[in-house]
Amino acid sequence: MHKDFKLGKEDINILKGINLDIEQGEMVALLGPSGSGKSTFLNVLGGLVPPTSGDIMIRDYRISEMTENELCLFRREHLGFIFQSYNLISTMTAMENVALALTFAGVKKEIRKERAIEALEVVGLVDRMGHKPSELSGGQQQRVSIARALVNHPEIILADEPTGNLDSKTSADIMEMIYRLNREENQTFVIVTHDPDTTKYCTKVIHMRDGLIESEVNQ
Amino acid sequence: MKFRTILTIIGVVIGTSSIIVMVSIGNGAQKSITDELSGIGSVTTLQVYQDLSSMGMTSMGGGKTDDKAILNDDAIKDLKKIDGVVAVTPVVNLNGGEIEVDREQYGVSLMGVDYAVLEDMRYVTTSGKKPGANDENSVILGKDVLTSITYTGASTQLTESEVKPEDLIGQNITMTIKRTNANGEEEMKTQKLKVTGVLEATGGNEDYSIIADYNLVTELNEWQTGRKANVKKQGYTQALVTVEDSSVVNAVTTEVEAMQFTVFSMQQILDSMGSVFQMLQILLGGIGGVALLVACIGIVNTMTMSIYERTKEIGIMKVIGASISDIRNMFIAESTMIGLIGGLVGIVISLVLSVLINLVAGFFIGGEGGVTISFITPGLVIFALVFSALVGLLSGVRPAIKAANLSSLDAIRSE
Ligand SMILES: Nc1ncnc2c1ncn2[C@@H]1O[C@H](COP(=O)(O)OP(=O)(O)O)[C@@H](O)[C@H]1O
Ligand SMILES: [Mg+2]
Repeated sequence: MHKDFKLGKEDINILKGINLDIEQGEMVALLGPSGSGKSTFLNVLGGLVPPTSGDIMIRDYRISEMTENELCLFRREHLGFIFQSYNLISTMTAMENVALALTFAGVKKEIRKERAIEALEVVGLVDRMGHKPSELSGGQQQRVSIARALVNHPEIILADEPTGNLDSKTSADIMEMIYRLNREENQTFVIVTHDPDTTKYCTKVIHMRDGLIESEVNQ
Repeated sequence: MKFRTILTIIGVVIGTSSIIVMVSIGNGAQKSITDELSGIGSVTTLQVYQDLSSMGMTSMGGGKTDDKAILNDDAIKDLKKIDGVVAVTPVVNLNGGEIEVDREQYGVSLMGVDYAVLEDMRYVTTSGKKPGANDENSVILGKDVLTSITYTGASTQLTESEVKPEDLIGQNITMTIKRTNANGEEEMKTQKLKVTGVLEATGGNEDYSIIADYNLVTELNEWQTGRKANVKKQGYTQALVTVEDSSVVNAVTTEVEAMQFTVFSMQQILDSMGSVFQMLQILLGGIGGVALLVACIGIVNTMTMSIYERTKEIGIMKVIGASISDIRNMFIAESTMIGLIGGLVGIVISLVLSVLINLVAGFFIGGEGGVTISFITPGLVIFALVFSALVGLLSGVRPAIKAANLSSLDAIRSE
């Protein structure tokens, strides 16, 4: 799979031929120096940007050929995203942020609340469900965003440096939680990280450099 | 709610309420004048005249009777046969009469109608009753018959007499008419008239006349002019045609015109006034429309700003599964709400303004029972509400489409 970005009139080749298979329930760590294309790869994988050439298949779905609306329906049901900067909506409470993902899926209001609370329970934040993001610590905000990614029970969760803004103690807690979810719910995780310590529970560790896979290690 | 949004809503409120108040003033002017004009009877009464050109021809041709339509008794019978016509009476006028009431002299004119059909005509007496078919010397007084009009310089003044016409009911009054005989001497004739009632205002000539039996008026006319009128050849100058109701006025008018008579009706005046008022309303509504257009630009601006500020939010929503139409509908709903809330508040404000305008106008103009300058119909309220919501909706479409088509990734990266 290739990905180019237009820079002025020139096309610069960012992903220069990535070929990768991931099995259901795997825990994949994506490492590499800054600018090597990790985020770009993750975004193409999640259908947020289209690849320039090549195919992405998730089960029987050909992501690379879906229209924007098809992608949106697909994301709703099969994908969850976790970002380095949490990306919560600042005007909404923790509970509302989590429930929002269900709104677009057309879930009824009472059920939305019930399931949002369930998801917050999983990340241990029920007591903070009425708080706005600005009233929560970084680790707590990230846990809200994990709850939001979980609430639809997607098969795949894509996380781009989920602990990048957190101190090492909190980072360890968040990673613990992610591993637990992976074990308990058999969800597939692809996690971009630059901390080699966090890869010990992963089933696959991929090193990227200059838009190519440098090494792929199965553990 | 953001201050900016409140300002935008105020814009819509100003736009909506100016449209409503402007149109309501057009409505009110139309309503008060129409009410004034459509006194009972006048709308269903047609005034029929001999075709003016044919009258001229006849007199010049020395009583020559060609095929020009003549408003004689035969014509009256024909008029009576038209569908929807209830009563027809010739009208004979007598001017230059004088009556003395309470030692005051009043100049009067008599309007002679056929007492046999008086019952069928839509004349309504406010007090007293109508004379019967054989009460040849009985009369009804017009409402303003004792009101004298004095011209002082440029202005006209109506002076109401101390004596009300109603005070004369049941009394005999004496009317004097004069003529100059062949020798140049002035002769006088007096006629006793018994007042049986006072006519409700019609807005027409009747208000300033004494309604009398046409046989009596014809007799007095003959004395005054010294010759017998040849009705069969020259016809009456005027006839009144009373029709069933206002819906047949236009049809009857057409038929009477086909008989080559000239017709005047209040309906025609109302129709032509209607178009004048329509223009007034369009003009006034247009002023309000400009205000709403400005409000419309305000909504577009607010929505665009709001989308700009919430770009990241839109990106997040798209990433977690909002479709293009979810985002679009969300923003269109928001701008429609701005329009709707603005419209609702605007309606409330215009209802209050309307009451105030009428109060203030009543204070300056006076008159019992209040004055209607501004008149808000339920239709106007519904129109304003739908219109303001529509303005909000349409103003939101472009910004909403813009928001929906943002790239989720670019949006989520923006700060
Ligand atoms: N939208 C974009 N337009 C142009 N260049 C981009 C865009 N996004 C990323 N890049 C470039 O692609 C390269 C890879 O970026 P990224 O995938 O974010 O790397 P990583 O996440 O590994 O640090 C970088 O050189 C970056 O400048
Ligand atoms: Mg990155």
